[in-house]
Amino acid sequence: MSTINFAKREISFKIVYYGPAMSGKTTNLRYIYTTIPEKVKGDFTSIATETERTLFFDFLPLELGSIKGFTIRLSLYTVPGQYIYKLTRKSVLRATDGIVFVADSQIEKKQENIDSFQDMIENLIEFGENVETMPIILQYNKRDLPNILSIEELQQDLNKDNKYQYFEAIAQEGINVIETLKAVTKLVVQKA
Amino acid sequence: MEGRLSKVQIVLNEEELKKIEELFGEFLAESEARDIVLLNKSGELLAKSGDITSDVAQNISALAAGVFSATNELARLLGEKEFTITFHQGQETNIHISLITQNALLAMIFDNKLPIGAIRFWAKKTGTEIKPIIEQAEKRAESQTQKVINEDVEKDIEDLF
Repeated sequence: MSTINFAKREISFKIVYYGPAMSGKTTNLRYIYTTIPEKVKGDFTSIATETERTLFFDFLPLELGSIKGFTIRLSLYTVPGQYIYKLTRKSVLRATDGIVFVADSQIEKKQENIDSFQDMIENLIEFGENVETMPIILQYNKRDLPNILSIEELQQDLNKDNKYQYFEAIAQEGINVIETLKAVTKLVVQKA
Repeated sequence: MEGRLSKVQIVLNEEELKKIEELFGEFLAESEARDIVLLNKSGELLAKSGDITSDVAQNISALAAGVFSATNELARLLGEKEFTITFHQGQETNIHISLITQNALLAMIFDNKLPIGAIRFWAKKTGTEIKPIIEQAEKRAESQTQKVINEDVEKDIEDLF
């Protein structure tokens, strides 16, 4: 649910980074936080367990600049990937304007990617969102690891109809992290 | 139904924002609240009053909406449609979060001087007063079919990064 503040000429969007456990969602946000600090408005908030696993969500507010006289603000969130946090994950996804689905390219994560994507679609349907028009970008992460699925396989699993734009990423090194953010920003702004 | 409503935007114009801020100012003085923050279910800050900075208010909005949304999953597990109020009590500070329209939440922060009953009273009174303004803004957003940004923004967004 984007918010338009005509008084301040601001539009705010909520973007959620979704995906299976340990796929690199928090790493994406941390990279953004350290790379474009001048655009960060406020703190990077992480509600994590003692072992740095996301418990509830991470939150990063950005102010990108203005387009056609409107300041564009983004609120980036991650969901907890672990299975037990299914309902927490669902609650973070509520009222989102766009999604980055971060998939783990490792072969052994194949089924987890598929399950997490399915879980996301089911949650969106339950919220009454239109899955066809929801802005979604795929990020195939950890492309530097040795034991990974081919892009064709990942596409077959998550993007059979080639409906979504995808990026091959190495979030830890920042490769294609900003490009992914840029792509989802384009989709949500164009929809507003 | 709930899904459809959850997508309603809140479009505040200058007059509405001014009115809300005026009311917040009055209630702040009367109720001895420390800060008042108006947010939507997505966790976006709509208006604030008090000494709180915008950055902190933005973070409070994100967390309050998160708490509220999680509480509602809890409600559903217990067979309840929705919990409309959450309240957190600390040594020095209390925060009262209440749902005032389908999409807007009001967070009021108090020192520990005030009894809980008074906090609930002031939160309810403030919520009731600003409810019509928010509803008007929601209604307008619902009927607004025209896009805010019509032009091709691809290049503009490239330039932002």
